[in-house]
Amino acid sequence: MRAIVLVFSLSLSIVTLSACSTVKPQQRAILADPTMQFEAEPEEGAVRQHALDNREGSMGGAGVAGGGCGCN
Amino acid sequence: MQLTRLFAMAVVAAAALAPARARAEVADVNTTHSVFFEQPTRTKMFVYTPGVSAQVTPWDWLDVRAGWEADVVSGASVAVKAGPAYQATHPAADVITAASVHDLRNRARGGFTLRKEAVSFTGGYSYSTEHDYRSHSFNVAARTDTYDKNSQFEIAYARNFDSVCDRTQVSDASNVPVHLQALEDSTGCFTSTAGRTTHSIAIDSFQGSWTQTWTPVLATQLVYTAEIQNGFLSNPYRAVIIGEGLKAQEHHPGNRARDAIAARMHLYFRPIRAALRLGVRGYYDTWDIKSFTGDVELEKYIADPFRVTFRGRFYKQSGAVFWSDDYTGGDRPLGPKGQYWSGDREISPFTSVLVGVRAIQTFAPQRPMLGIISQLKLALSGDVVQFKYDEYTLAGEPVTNARAYIGTLSLTAIF
Repeated sequence: MRAIVLVFSLSLSIVTLSACSTVKPQQRAILADPTMQFEAEPEEGAVRQHALDNREGSMGGAGVAGGGCGCN
Repeated sequence: MQLTRLFAMAVVAAAALAPARARAEVADVNTTHSVFFEQPTRTKMFVYTPGVSAQVTPWDWLDVRAGWEADVVSGASVAVKAGPAYQATHPAADVITAASVHDLRNRARGGFTLRKEAVSFTGGYSYSTEHDYRSHSFNVAARTDTYDKNSQFEIAYARNFDSVCDRTQVSDASNVPVHLQALEDSTGCFTSTAGRTTHSIAIDSFQGSWTQTWTPVLATQLVYTAEIQNGFLSNPYRAVIIGEGLKAQEHHPGNRARDAIAARMHLYFRPIRAALRLGVRGYYDTWDIKSFTGDVELEKYIADPFRVTFRGRFYKQSGAVFWSDDYTGGDRPLGPKGQYWSGDREISPFTSVLVGVRAIQTFAPQRPMLGIISQLKLALSGDVVQFKYDEYTLAGEPVTNARAYIGTLSLTAIF
């Protein structure tokens, strides 16, 4: 029950906080720059992440699509 | 190589046949090649990863993707693991053996994204195969932009149906794990050969993310990932010395629930034309591994189409609750820790530090190259990862100066 309340509260906070942002479309030039993208250069990033994931005990925080072990 | 050429030709043909109104930037093709070399004691693992991927946008509301990649692996892997206590009482025994590893992983994937106004739906599938491992993976995602596109919310789910090869054990060994024997090699895997069997692994992954722009130069992202693994989660090739004259196949729990939460911030500095990217990640799983990851990147335009990224990454994890460097050693930190045993340094406590650099050059000529390529992008990167293992040894010999090198070359053509 506590977890449900926590998730609900967090979701409500996120939605409320989101509404505070007022960046207009004409102000987005820098936000659209490749250096500001969260998924820029996905191929290069995926290869590096794959190598690290196979040598660490943890995962997550990036993407869920995947497949295979490749864990030698 | 022929497959790669055919794939590229198919994408170019698709781009040429796409409806005229969408002909500007209707497709892109990427090829990425990476090498990984690791030089801790006795392994010298080398992995070459070539890949090619493409995306076609025949209409504004549809993206179609396909790709292929491979891991060409050579080196050695620790086949039998022992610790210092056993080695101290058996000084003449060479209890650590490193088995030669040569493997080839092929992975093919495909997917699509449907868009309508501020909402998009993505679906995908991938199949990968190795000598000893097969994986079918399905993924779906939904994303929406709200508040004048200042907020993006995405949820994603993936399900893996994997299988791993193992040795057929003697009739009652599964009930008495100390009698399990490690797989010798992958010969006969996924065939009806006597002495080989297959175990299944199911993996369910869920992810939710919130991306937010706060100012014209500041954006943040919060990501939560959960994963449940169920099945055979050990390395079938690895044996661990767990007692006097007793060598048993690695034995991990058959279930694992994993949670990770990550936060990122991107901030652009106009005066120096550079973006600072910061990220932190916390992780916990039911094997009691806890980890922290910190990332920092600075990407700067040197000249307009040329930019360079400097990056660093710090990673620290605790060991699994059943991890021990020597299951014959008596008290902690050595000695047995319950009903499971492992020889994997990946679940031992350790710290790693990565430093790297990446350079990207974009070519955008006035007229399309070869009549169809509107832009070319070349990316080169190099990273060095230094590992420091707190407890993991090879029969008491610390693994010092364990270091990995990663080099990547990526070329993208936009049609």
